[in-house]
Amino acid sequence: MKEPREIEINSRADTLKPRPWPVTPPPSKEDVAKIYARRKAEEFGKFMEEIVGFEHAYGKAEALQGLKVLDVGIWRLSNSFASSLLAEMGAEVVKVEPPGGDPLRELTPFGRDEYKLADAASGEPCGLDFIAEMRNKYSVTLNLESAEGREIYKKLANQADVVIENYPPGQFDEWGIGYRQISRTNPRVIYAWVGVHGQWGPMKDKVSKFGQWMLDPFGQAACSFIHNTGFPQDLLPRGGGGDPTRSGVWIADYVAGEQAAVDILAALYHREEVSGKGQFVEVTAAEALMDILDFDIAWYGFNGSIKSRTGGWDPNLNQYAWNPCKDGYMMIGGQTDRLWYRINMCIEKEIPQFGRLIGEDPFLKEIAARNAFEALTKTYTLTTMWLRDNTRAQTEKKLMAYDVAAGPVMTIDEVTEFPHFKYRPWVNLIEDDSYGTLMYAVPPNAFQYRTPARVKWMGRPLGKDNSEIYMRYLGLGNEELGQLKEKGVI
Amino acid sequence: MGDVRNVCLEDLPGPSSQAELEAEKVSYEEYCRQLFAPGREFEKPEALKGVRWMSCTMYIFTPHAVANLAELGAEVIKIETPRAGEPMRHTSPFNEAYLYPMHDSRPNTGTGFGYMNANPNKYNITLDYHRPEAQEVFRRLVTVSDGLTECYRPGTFDKWKQSYRYVQEINPRFIYVWGGGFGYGPKTFGASYDILGQAHAGLASVTGWHEDFGGHPAKHTNWIIDWYSGTQITVGILAALNWRRKTGLGTMIEFSQVQCATRALGYGVPMYGRFGIVRQRWGNWDTQLCVHGIVLCGKSDYPDDKNPQLKYDARYVAVSAFNDADFKELCAVIGRKDLYDKYKTHKERLSEYAQMDIYKTLEEWAADKSRSEVAKALTGAGLLAIPVMNDKEVYESEHFRARGTVRWQEDPTFGDVVVQGGYSTGLMSATPRRVKWIWRTLGADNMKIYHELLGYPVSQLEDWYAKGII
Repeated sequence: MKEPREIEINSRADTLKPRPWPVTPPPSKEDVAKIYARRKAEEFGKFMEEIVGFEHAYGKAEALQGLKVLDVGIWRLSNSFASSLLAEMGAEVVKVEPPGGDPLRELTPFGRDEYKLADAASGEPCGLDFIAEMRNKYSVTLNLESAEGREIYKKLANQADVVIENYPPGQFDEWGIGYRQISRTNPRVIYAWVGVHGQWGPMKDKVSKFGQWMLDPFGQAACSFIHNTGFPQDLLPRGGGGDPTRSGVWIADYVAGEQAAVDILAALYHREEVSGKGQFVEVTAAEALMDILDFDIAWYGFNGSIKSRTGGWDPNLNQYAWNPCKDGYMMIGGQTDRLWYRINMCIEKEIPQFGRLIGEDPFLKEIAARNAFEALTKTYTLTTMWLRDNTRAQTEKKLMAYDVAAGPVMTIDEVTEFPHFKYRPWVNLIEDDSYGTLMYAVPPNAFQYRTPARVKWMGRPLGKDNSEIYMRYLGLGNEELGQLKEKGVI
Repeated sequence: MGDVRNVCLEDLPGPSSQAELEAEKVSYEEYCRQLFAPGREFEKPEALKGVRWMSCTMYIFTPHAVANLAELGAEVIKIETPRAGEPMRHTSPFNEAYLYPMHDSRPNTGTGFGYMNANPNKYNITLDYHRPEAQEVFRRLVTVSDGLTECYRPGTFDKWKQSYRYVQEINPRFIYVWGGGFGYGPKTFGASYDILGQAHAGLASVTGWHEDFGGHPAKHTNWIIDWYSGTQITVGILAALNWRRKTGLGTMIEFSQVQCATRALGYGVPMYGRFGIVRQRWGNWDTQLCVHGIVLCGKSDYPDDKNPQLKYDARYVAVSAFNDADFKELCAVIGRKDLYDKYKTHKERLSEYAQMDIYKTLEEWAADKSRSEVAKALTGAGLLAIPVMNDKEVYESEHFRARGTVRWQEDPTFGDVVVQGGYSTGLMSATPRRVKWIWRTLGADNMKIYHELLGYPVSQLEDWYAKGII
């Protein structure tokens, strides 16, 4: 039988209607004050909302005010995310695109152009991944393949504090505009190359013989992340989920991007405090992701173990997993004895045999012994017996009463409607000049006393800031820009 | 250039010294290798020299935020519960990988590998905040530090009179970071873990196979989102240090882990906001590029190995040929030119049914080949493909060894260990990151910090130790 839906979708046209958000209003301050009061933290809660509350963010200073950043990367999210983090903190980020635009502008899920957004002025469509990572950035066009374009680029780079670049290894050096050359005229430059495997070394980044770039998940594949993620073939059939699994997003790019931002800011600290000089930074998706793969490689060095996949479970902790429940999947976590027995008390109330089989099992009483594979299977089998009769909301409420970390696996629409997300807010709407009202993920650094991160605009039409930036940086007037445009330089 | 009589030699383009001339002659590859000089990190200065940070942290998320600082040269003091230490010291995969001892007085207890990578270069001291004596010690530490990172539930440090409300009065330059699950708001007391962040933020719902293909949401291996979120705290800390350099003002940062994975959803959020379309899982394929996914091959590269991870799972290749020319070549390599005729444009290839068709065809072609045969056939034709590497292959990879990002190193406490983190978070030419030690035993630096830094007499420490305060 067809499930009844709130909104009928009969054709693709029906899917293109904007939805109201939020559907239900967020909880009020009074409601939340009552929650603080439950643990006698009313005063502290009020203090926190006053000093780090999002509503005050836009009235505060910006931490990276005055920092000039060039993002000359295309295609990937790593360079974009790095420059986004700096832009959210107040740096002036200029995105230098080829005259045809960053190819990322073209990407749209399943090739559906109707999910691109048209710029209000020119009607030029642009993909949403690009728009989401173009926050607070200016867009200029420049043809680096022309000698004249490279001369202009040198002048831009000579004024930059930070250059973020991601072209294939040696490309910029060959063009005479790489770190080797720019650092000579601008010794204060902090120059970050952000790639997939590296710009040097036996497995360095390649392009195909037709010029196609290497993109994520090549970073995920090269550091054992994919091998270690997903369900084992004893839980799901191979080819249908029981395989090594890539992340649903370009996660290695995001990880490389944020590490690039960290290294850039550390280099900035060193430049300002000590040396007065910039430096060359190289961050790769594969290595940045390998850094955060816990101990996986070290474990192989320790005793030759190759990590296997464990699906929604965890080989180090019990309980610490999501499992199917009545209306989706529910995550329950609590490794320490205190939480282990609290979960036990909660489930036992409805499934008495849980207490007998899990709580009283002598083998499961020892914290580390609970991580054996048989122990995981037994624990989660009985937990799922309880979960199958409970919805995510019910389980969350019941477990929260015992102070157990519990959270539903939520789809994106549910995320945006979750009361806590709406209250802070973690997703928000912004009126964008070019692309209308957009929903965006609020920067996690937006909750600060002095210098919160913030988003001022989202996408940017291609070359929108040519006249402003070229005037401000190079003193080029509109007439000269017109000539350059005619020659295909910008 | 203007009047040639005014030109200085140094201003002319080209190398200005013999050394620069030599540098220009070397190939770019060699230039990079010399500039980053893996293995010679300790000959160079540290970026954050002189920054002192208190790490009142547990698990991965907040320890990693501070580990980044420690790798970059900050002096980080990690405070743990006396005798027991933090939970990750007792966490190890399948209870098998430990380094001994955990503590001088507990020679038979080791520290589990769960502690790895999140605590390098830190000084480890112990302190029980519950004791009244701890307050004065804590305040002295705040006075001599630049900031702290803590991860206790909201209000806990406030209850102990050591929250930002109190420390800003002792040290106005202090940067106070709270890192946790939710922060202020209706779910403020909700605890959080990496896996909860993945589930709660929507990332799990887009990773793995869709129900329609018989799949479930898959967890990013272990604690990726804890680590990923922790790094963003470091971004916040370094920006705050930059602001403090200019203004002399400290700050409070409240940072929630659950939100971080939502930030990585890319087009998912704006697409829902504008169109009400909820992004779903798409397995090992890409929603925006095709061909750009993981392909299952018929034969393993290690058919006779007794380790099932090698015998059964060394069978996957990442293949990328989304541009028209690349796809055409791919179809030629697999002997299916008709496939190219069917899907000539990228838009046609990207449709969901085309993807099912194309990847199925690729896997049929790969069914009688091993992973390395497939990768070789494709890269030999000038296309992009790479085997999905496992821990053994990453460990043995010449690439990472040459770059120094995976290396054996002698730890002062534990001897030879494999280091996979720290050096791999980015090469820096002037102030490279480094790993001095992977971790210290519990309370190893009590003497150094309490006596040598804060000036408490040794007899006092002995007394505190006997009472379990440190």
